[in-house]
Amino acid sequence: MFDWVHHVSILSIICYVPLLGALVVIFLFKKEQGERIRKFATGIALVDFLVSIPLWFAFERDGDLFQFRESLAWIETLGVRYEFGIDGIALLLVLLTTLLGVLAFLSSWSAIKVREKEYYVFMLLLQTGMLGVFMAMDFFLFYVFWEVMLVPMYFLIGIWGGPRKLYAAIKFFLYTLVGSVLMLLGILALYFYNSSGLLEFGGLGNPRTFSITQFHDIASQIPPDLQFWIFLAFFVGFAIKVPMFPFHTWLPDAHVEAPTAASVILAGVLLKMGTYGFVRFSLPILPVATWELLPWVVALSIIGIIYGGLVAMAQKDMKKLVAYSSVSHLGFVMLGVFALNGPGLNGGILQMINHGISTGALFLLVGVIYERRHTRMIAEYGGISEQMPMFATIFLIITMSSIGLPVLNGFIGEFTILVGAFNRVWWWALMGAVGIVLGAAYMLWMYQRVFFGPLKNPENKDLKDLNRRELLYLMPLVVLCFWIGLYPRPFFRILEKPVNYIVEICESNQPVADQQVDAGSRPQTSEHSGD
Amino acid sequence: MDSIQPQEFLLLIPEIFLATAGMLLLLTGALKTATSYRLCSTVSLAALVGTVVLLVTVQGVPDAPRVILSGMFIVDGYSFFWKLLLLMAATLTVVLSDRFLSDGGYRPAEFYSLILLATTGMLFMASGYSLLSIWISLELMALSSYILAGFFKHERKSNEAALKYFVLGALSSGILVYGISLLYGATGTVQLDLLATAIPGAMASEAGYRLVSVGWLLVAIGLFFKVAAVPFHVWTPDVYEGAPTPVTVFLATASKVASFAILVRIFYQGLPYLQPDWQWVTAGVAAITMIWGNLAALTQSNVKRMLAYSSIAHSGYVLIGVLAATEDGLWAVLFYLFAYTFITIGIFGTVILLERKEYAGETYSDYAGLAQRSPFLAAMMLVFMLALTGLPPTGGFFGKIYLFAAAVESGWLWVAVVGVVTSAISLFYYIGIVVQMYFKDSEEGTPSALHAPGLVSAIAVCAVITGLLGIFPGPLVEFAKRSLVGLL
Repeated sequence: MFDWVHHVSILSIICYVPLLGALVVIFLFKKEQGERIRKFATGIALVDFLVSIPLWFAFERDGDLFQFRESLAWIETLGVRYEFGIDGIALLLVLLTTLLGVLAFLSSWSAIKVREKEYYVFMLLLQTGMLGVFMAMDFFLFYVFWEVMLVPMYFLIGIWGGPRKLYAAIKFFLYTLVGSVLMLLGILALYFYNSSGLLEFGGLGNPRTFSITQFHDIASQIPPDLQFWIFLAFFVGFAIKVPMFPFHTWLPDAHVEAPTAASVILAGVLLKMGTYGFVRFSLPILPVATWELLPWVVALSIIGIIYGGLVAMAQKDMKKLVAYSSVSHLGFVMLGVFALNGPGLNGGILQMINHGISTGALFLLVGVIYERRHTRMIAEYGGISEQMPMFATIFLIITMSSIGLPVLNGFIGEFTILVGAFNRVWWWALMGAVGIVLGAAYMLWMYQRVFFGPLKNPENKDLKDLNRRELLYLMPLVVLCFWIGLYPRPFFRILEKPVNYIVEICESNQPVADQQVDAGSRPQTSEHSGD
Repeated sequence: MDSIQPQEFLLLIPEIFLATAGMLLLLTGALKTATSYRLCSTVSLAALVGTVVLLVTVQGVPDAPRVILSGMFIVDGYSFFWKLLLLMAATLTVVLSDRFLSDGGYRPAEFYSLILLATTGMLFMASGYSLLSIWISLELMALSSYILAGFFKHERKSNEAALKYFVLGALSSGILVYGISLLYGATGTVQLDLLATAIPGAMASEAGYRLVSVGWLLVAIGLFFKVAAVPFHVWTPDVYEGAPTPVTVFLATASKVASFAILVRIFYQGLPYLQPDWQWVTAGVAAITMIWGNLAALTQSNVKRMLAYSSIAHSGYVLIGVLAATEDGLWAVLFYLFAYTFITIGIFGTVILLERKEYAGETYSDYAGLAQRSPFLAAMMLVFMLALTGLPPTGGFFGKIYLFAAAVESGWLWVAVVGVVTSAISLFYYIGIVVQMYFKDSEEGTPSALHAPGLVSAIAVCAVITGLLGIFPGPLVEFAKRSLVGLL
């Protein structure tokens, strides 16, 4: 039924539908037509999501690692190809992107009242940029999309943001740009090592290419010294994006100032690019350096988990609290990924999706209440569960998902990560567990202060519960929370092949000393909880 | 040395044509005081377009380099590439000057004839094959430029710019010609290929070694002056700020391009034996140029001055490709300068559109709310700013990528590191204009863009080229590569 998907350039279509939409908005709509523009743009996002759904069905779980491939010559002098393709990991992220896209557009209807034309143009361009990042199979192309995506996000924060928007926007832009130019040098080093040669390292003499699979293939031939430096270059780029402690300081600023929809996209998709970068590039291309630097990366992840949790606890602003909780959650993802075993990677990647869903939902929810009261201060609320029962219920479900309560998605991800971490070094899991406790503390404490107790602030008396549009964009996320929480098997199934592939590369490059230490606790890659 | 064949002059017909047109225009201006702007600019445009046509038919992309007029000039793919670019830059400059001059009440014929004569000098520079002919062509360009910089003779800033430009320009020319004389003293020749073969022999003796060492260094310093590399850049901000903006465009693009053309030609064809030396010197100069240019640009409040420092910084980037001393580095230089020329013309075109009464409209705040008033102009400016920062999808992105890649490939990793870090810094001041255009609201009295269709279409052409180069850089790369045949 879905065979046709393999015969059209489905990925390009998904990637460029938003771009086309943006061009239509630019040239065919007048800026006074806010109403029509927002409907049209949301329609485009919806179409894009619908077009991306067949990917899920047509993707052959046991087929090639990368599917739906497209390959065209682009810049022949450098050997750059226009190459798209997705594996299970990218597939999930593409679907997450298109889905969150629709929801973010819907949530903007009431939030964005000025300069709507530009707003929707930038949102659509952002979609194209993000999708391209996940689809690119050519490192150069990846880099192009990675950079392209910065500009619209910069504008979204800078034009429609809060009081300190200029500062937050430029901070976001500069941090990411510094990271990405260093990453570029890493890419170039890899490229020249593969082809004509690099400094005293010599070269492999292969034809010039930026193909990611080619880089995967030469992983074991890259000398450890070179791997070390390239890893550091990549690390700065990806760690800023994740963001890992101590590169996280742009995130709270960006989140607090960004409009709701941009926050949703930022937390839901943009942050995943960092962890995706580690999974796609650092681990399989630089396995030796990964092992070498493992303790440091994990140390930063654990610091991030605990530090993020503690700082979140101290926040008075709901959005800032959620922002710091992201630092903590992404630390979790990194812990799972850098456990370098099946459960760890499976859990880490699933948790990327989970975080996109639950944090995306949290930002949407905070946006809902912000639109009504124009404040996000926790102290301004209290006892509003009576005024807004539906809102309180959904907020509770998402809170529980974020904490990691069984039956909901967060539990599956966190538990699998802990299994992976435990198999690597037992006390890593212990530190992770501390993070979960902290997470429960700050989330529940916030929930309690906002929703329970007496209704003290008279301004909260007339709060209206969710309207139909708001329910419409929140429900899909709630459903997903339960789906992943109750039946995660399809997700793990689709991740099986790429995860095994990465674990295999990592294990075959494991230093001998390490192998002896944990030979007894070698996990089975297909083992995970919850199915 | 062969005797000169008459048909060798035929090869120089484009240059001769342009020089004649320039002088005729000057003559017309002298005889007839009330020449109209429209007429002068139309005649200059026709002359430039005619030169392009002649250039393509006569010089084309020749199969093999031809040295003509007893080794004075060379006609090769390399010179063809630069001439084409220079003529395009000059043409756009003429389009940009149109409206601007007519407001000031200055006499048009001199202005346009000087542009044409300076362009003639540049074309000869691109073809120069002996140090002497290169120097004379350079002077033709420079002398015309000094007058152009001071063309607004009732404006103090313009006078100041012309004087500073003249004094420092003369100094640098002096240094250059002194270096040339030392090289000539050591080797007995000024023709580049003969120089290249004579240098190793000359350097065998103690005295010859000293002469050549000092000589080439002085030549290099003279050239660094012309391309505005730090620490020989001090004239640039004042001249760029004070000169009439169309002249600034001309200096920042055509003049810089022509200077790079001779710099590369002299280094690669005249001084190949000294390659390790000039690589190191260029690397040092490139690094401090990128660092200082970008840091100084950060602190500017006048847009033209900021662009001057940014133009200095971009000379540093181009030097990366020069010092790589590989084919990849060289075509990256060609590509980068091509993209840079159109980006810069586009930006200054926008500045001109916003300028009033010669110098008003040069602060950042004059761009406030431009996105609301003229969305397309703002969008084009955004493209140019992204391109100068080196962000995709623009020609500036590929230009920088090619340069950095060449540096990494040839082992100059540290220069590439300086390059990428300073590029990230440069975002900060380029984005300053974007912030004004998109994030601020227009205030009372903010100038709205001039209604000038010719100008706007010139800017649009630049924007389209900048964008196209960011998506399909291939054809230009091929052209640049083909132009290098015979140079290396």
